[in-house]
Amino acid sequence: MFNGNISTTEISLNRRGLMTWTLIVIAVILLYLGSFVFMEDLGMVEMIEDYPDAFIAGLGMTPEMFADINLYHGGLVLMYVLLLASIYSMMLAGGMITRDVDLGTVEFLYTRPVSRPAILVSKAFSFLVLITLFWIAIYLVSIAVGGFWVAPAVFDIYAQFAAHLMGYLACLAAGGIAFALAPLLNRTQSLTSLAIGLGFGFFLLNSLASMYGQLDFLKYLSLHYYADLSGAAAGEPFITGMVVLPAVFGTGVAVGAALIRKKDFTA
Amino acid sequence: MLYAVETEKLTKYYGQNRGVVDLSMSVLDGEIFGFIGPNGAGKTTTIRLLLGLIKPSVGEAKIFGKDLPPAGGKLYRRVGYLPAEINYYPEMTGRDLLEYAAGFYNISNYQWVEELVDRLRFDPDQKIRTYSPGNLKKLGLIQALLHKPSLLILDEPGSGLDPLIKQELFKILEEVNQRGTTIFFSTHVLEEVERICSRVAMVKNGKLIHIGPVDELPGKEIRVVTFKTAGRRPSNVALEKLGKAQELPSRPGCYRVLSHLPVNELVSYLGRFDLDYLRITNPSLEEVFFELYDLPAGGGEKHHV
Repeated sequence: MFNGNISTTEISLNRRGLMTWTLIVIAVILLYLGSFVFMEDLGMVEMIEDYPDAFIAGLGMTPEMFADINLYHGGLVLMYVLLLASIYSMMLAGGMITRDVDLGTVEFLYTRPVSRPAILVSKAFSFLVLITLFWIAIYLVSIAVGGFWVAPAVFDIYAQFAAHLMGYLACLAAGGIAFALAPLLNRTQSLTSLAIGLGFGFFLLNSLASMYGQLDFLKYLSLHYYADLSGAAAGEPFITGMVVLPAVFGTGVAVGAALIRKKDFTA
Repeated sequence: MLYAVETEKLTKYYGQNRGVVDLSMSVLDGEIFGFIGPNGAGKTTTIRLLLGLIKPSVGEAKIFGKDLPPAGGKLYRRVGYLPAEINYYPEMTGRDLLEYAAGFYNISNYQWVEELVDRLRFDPDQKIRTYSPGNLKKLGLIQALLHKPSLLILDEPGSGLDPLIKQELFKILEEVNQRGTTIFFSTHVLEEVERICSRVAMVKNGKLIHIGPVDELPGKEIRVVTFKTAGRRPSNVALEKLGKAQELPSRPGCYRVLSHLPVNELVSYLGRFDLDYLRITNPSLEEVFFELYDLPAGGGEKHHV
């Protein structure tokens, strides 16, 4: 159920995208985490306390975040990183499937002596490798900026590891969702639109659930809820999330493998 | 008798649109089998059905006596495939693609691949995005042949190749066939089928209309005669005896005839004219279909198999 030839090639074909997205996320971390040093001077805590509770909850903020670099980075900066990273994850995973249909390389790849489910599983393995490298880079940059520059004395690399791990697991889940949906699509452009829509959708569902008590149930549909970055940064990672997110990845890959087995490659 | 390819009432509809209908045929192990039909006849659909890229609406297709399921698998080790439209990863070089393809078959000795590269005069070290259609075709042929498959399925292999390379390709195909490879050769060029195939199936509008030895190909006796007389114009009666004649609008006095006369009789009959110019060629597949099956109208066929 696995072909190393396909996995190696997929990693090679997607390395440029990985570098581009890593640079984008590094820029976001530098900008947001680097600006923490100005937060106290600007009186952010007092300012945030003046906003309505529902509003700041919707933005995923708490006043304490602006006084504690670990909560600030884990709960706020990583939330925006996860927004971008989940979009990238879906584009990467889904693109591995739709690109062959879009480019016309299905006639090459799907006539090799490898079963269709094995092709998808091999691609999922490449995705796993690339997303792992992506989050290792994010974690190392976070340590470099937070632990060596912004707040060397208080930046907790262990709590941050937990927060980054939850972000990583949420991205795996996003990839799993894309692997499940991609066999239904024939164009990479459709996949890109879907990835952006779902990425923002997950973010907004969690925001709405935080803002309005009646919509609390929506949080169960959001990857951000299961990632619970703030909790992980505070040293209390969400155990349910640690189970659900990899399960979504595994289920997504299994559904994708079942769908691609039945797909007609007419294009 | 061992068959490399078998189809039984193979039918594919895309919604309301016809792909192929009731296609039953078999290809003997070790033969070069021509699969011929005009564009849109259903040749590529048939090949995709054979390869399991699409599922039949009705009927079945077998390769070496086994179903080729959409899940693919080990049976593909025995199959080499050249698609009509060649698409590879543009950021790879030709060599990268060949190494990627070879990786599926655990090929460690590249001598055969290098021989193919040399004989087809292919430069493997360029980016795929820079290749001309002819070079892409060469790359496609090498990747189809590199693992020495038992069955080679070629969809329009000659298109885009210059005549010298095409000649070399036919030599290579004859060699691999002598070594035991069955070749399923799909084309719309009649001459290519006559040049290399032992048996041939003809399809039109998704239906099989003829299958048999290449010598019994319908329309094989048809010749395209283009001539100009030096003296007076031939009479209509004389022209009608030759066949369906048409004066070329761009060249007054020059006639083009699709003739069914046996070659000796044709040459002897043409000797009666005071010829200024004469050219006798084989008809294109479209001309054969037009002549025998009223192709453009799509109905009113004269012959049915």
